[in-house]
Amino acid sequence: MSYKSDDNNQLDNWKKSVDSTIKRFPERKDTFTTSADIEVDRLYTGEEDSFDSELGYPGQYPYTRGIQPTMYRSRFWTMRQYAGFGSAKETNKRFRYLLEQGQTGLSVAFDLPTQIGYDSDDVMSEGEVGKVGVAIDTLQDMEQLLDQIPLDKVSTSMTINASAAILLCMYIAVGEKQGVPSKKLTGTIQNDILKEYIARGTYIYPPKPSMRLITNIFEYCQQNLPKFNTISISGYHIREAGANAVQEAAFTIANGLSYVDAAIESGLDVDSFAPRLAFFFNAHNNFFEEVAKFRAARRIWAKIMKEHYKAKDPKSWKLRFHTQTGGSTLTAQQPDNNIVRVTLQALAAVMGGTQSLHTNSRDEALSLPTEDSARIALRTQQIIANESGVADTVDPLGGSYYVEELTDKIEIEVNKYLDRIKEIGGAVQAIEEGYMQREIHQNAYEIQKRIEKEEEIIVGLNKFKLDEEVNPDLLKVDEALEKEQIQSMESIRQKRDQNAVNAALADLKEQAKAADSNLIPYILNAVKVYATIGEISNVMRDEFGEYAGI
Amino acid sequence: MGKIRVLVAKPGLDGHDRGALVISQALRDHGMEVIYTGLRQSPVQIAQAAVQEDVDVIGLSSLSGGHKTLFPKVIDELKKRNAEDIPVVGGGVIPSEDIPFLIDKGVKKIFTSGSSTEVLATYIKELINPEKITPAPKKIAHIGIAVNSIDHSLPFYTDSLGLELEAVEAVDSEGVKVAFLKIGESRIELLEALDDSSPIKAFIDKKGEGIHHVALEVDNISDRLTKLKSEGIRLINDEAKQGANNSQIAFIHPKTASGVLIELSQHEEGSEN
Repeated sequence: MSYKSDDNNQLDNWKKSVDSTIKRFPERKDTFTTSADIEVDRLYTGEEDSFDSELGYPGQYPYTRGIQPTMYRSRFWTMRQYAGFGSAKETNKRFRYLLEQGQTGLSVAFDLPTQIGYDSDDVMSEGEVGKVGVAIDTLQDMEQLLDQIPLDKVSTSMTINASAAILLCMYIAVGEKQGVPSKKLTGTIQNDILKEYIARGTYIYPPKPSMRLITNIFEYCQQNLPKFNTISISGYHIREAGANAVQEAAFTIANGLSYVDAAIESGLDVDSFAPRLAFFFNAHNNFFEEVAKFRAARRIWAKIMKEHYKAKDPKSWKLRFHTQTGGSTLTAQQPDNNIVRVTLQALAAVMGGTQSLHTNSRDEALSLPTEDSARIALRTQQIIANESGVADTVDPLGGSYYVEELTDKIEIEVNKYLDRIKEIGGAVQAIEEGYMQREIHQNAYEIQKRIEKEEEIIVGLNKFKLDEEVNPDLLKVDEALEKEQIQSMESIRQKRDQNAVNAALADLKEQAKAADSNLIPYILNAVKVYATIGEISNVMRDEFGEYAGI
Repeated sequence: MGKIRVLVAKPGLDGHDRGALVISQALRDHGMEVIYTGLRQSPVQIAQAAVQEDVDVIGLSSLSGGHKTLFPKVIDELKKRNAEDIPVVGGGVIPSEDIPFLIDKGVKKIFTSGSSTEVLATYIKELINPEKITPAPKKIAHIGIAVNSIDHSLPFYTDSLGLELEAVEAVDSEGVKVAFLKIGESRIELLEALDDSSPIKAFIDKKGEGIHHVALEVDNISDRLTKLKSEGIRLINDEAKQGANNSQIAFIHPKTASGVLIELSQHEEGSEN
């Protein structure tokens, strides 16, 4: 570690930032103590007068120890459980249940047709309507989804990418109907198309027009939804597809840099959009590696934004992130064991300084979670927050020889990948050449082989097995739902002003042809007159073409 | 016969193809030719591809919950093309209570989360080519008799019965000395413990001298072990090991075979018999 003598200066800065933070966000308690009444300090550091510039203080560049000066002593992370299944009405019920149970933000899962811009009655949608999330065809479904949920008080995260612009416009329109101006809306759209090509598969258009839509959103939101996170640059799915911790961090950051480049190229100033960029990471089982990954990612991003892009606003340097525990680490065998895995992973996310967290349900290797399982998952976070004491001091693992060494090593390895991707010509080029996909797939295959050879032990799967597995109760999505959704769409098509729809779609088509216009206002107009997600997407499919995969 | 041709397909809109890709690679490593369709294939496209590519088997992967609609549709589309003889297997996130429905609709087998690629590969080889992979054992290779002393027991077999002594060999891995006596196409093996840790010593201490095991001659011992394992048969050896007389052997637990210890034995190419 490199120690410098300008510690006093840095320490004073941190103390000042603590004072101003506490004024806005008072700490949860006047004094924090352990069970034996030992007082817990806000922050523990090395020897007096020693200072490590690679670590910095919490809330200060390069943010290794966290992006806020007081972290969870003021506020816990946001507990945000991803939910959504079947119809908008049913999902609305689950949302209101979760809010009553103490959840502090919403997170919407959409079904695959919604994510890929198909109406529920499209032939491509058969069998998929309402299966992995809620089906949204028109503004009416969104109105039902958010019924009686005050959008000025609840922040909403939407896992939506290729059709993010359409869903964001629907959210704005519902806000207007509730009397909430768009300036007050808070939340996040995932809007990260690059990882769809790499790992998740819900792309529609080729990379270039997709990047245009994303920068259109950046620009529109900067002016109209200043509190909305315009993108959630996601390593989660990259990890689920088989990447290791280093690859997850590296490919996510590489994608992030592509968005920054695209936005700058479209004429935006880095400090105008970078503060609204958010990240989304995974948490797997190797506890210290995960903690180190989060700390390293923060440091790498801060350095690049400050030193390479010359961003001046410290908000542009801060890597804020959501974490979800690792779905692919869960086993279908002995599903209750998954509660323990989720606890370890959630703890790693908290020790790594996450801003929000989704804990997976024990039954996710078998089906969508039941209400009981979803509640246990939320309770897991609440127990960590309220009972374990890990939130009572900032970055409790900071200064651990092992964690700091791992953090440094991960930074080095991630930078090697970033250099390699730069050589290829950036993330978009690397994706089009299949570079990241191959790296991930190779690792996935190695993992599978290690598990089958029992070089890697998965409890309950290849060791400590039960002779007879008990089948737990699983959530069933009603098969009749697809028909009902299609019927409700048909009735909207009859009720709406068809001329207005045609006009809005024609306007959108014209603007899509002009490469330099921002499409968001035109999509918003189409949404407001109840054009369907399929109709709007098809206009853009005609103009932009479809991505065929590699 | 040429390579087994497999079509791995992802019906519907689900983009999670880690499983499909890992399985494709594993089957290739097992010597099969694998065609992966890529994402978002309709049942019509999958059936067309299967016919055009003249595949031996189709593997469908779904993690989005659409399997109950999509898998039977693929089978219907195969029927329309008179290709229902192409077997269809499925995998992904599929609740066990949905499996009987899918089997009823004509899916051959469902491999759920946590299935091993070895078991899948053996299953496919078996499905395409049942006789070749694990035909019934060919003959009794030998009967093993536990004895206190080969020197003491041997004269009865060679002199009184007149059997021909082929060889005497020490198998250190089993802690035994073995005398081979030829009888028709089979053998009798006399087994003597080399030390106190030998299983033969334990056997004799418990039961006295007598028949210790029956060995069956098989082909493809490792495929057969994988198959037995996948059927839940209790094995003493999960993998074949080196036995006497240049053979690969593995034991099946006597609990499974009504109290008889059964040895599977495969002779290496080029060895006698």
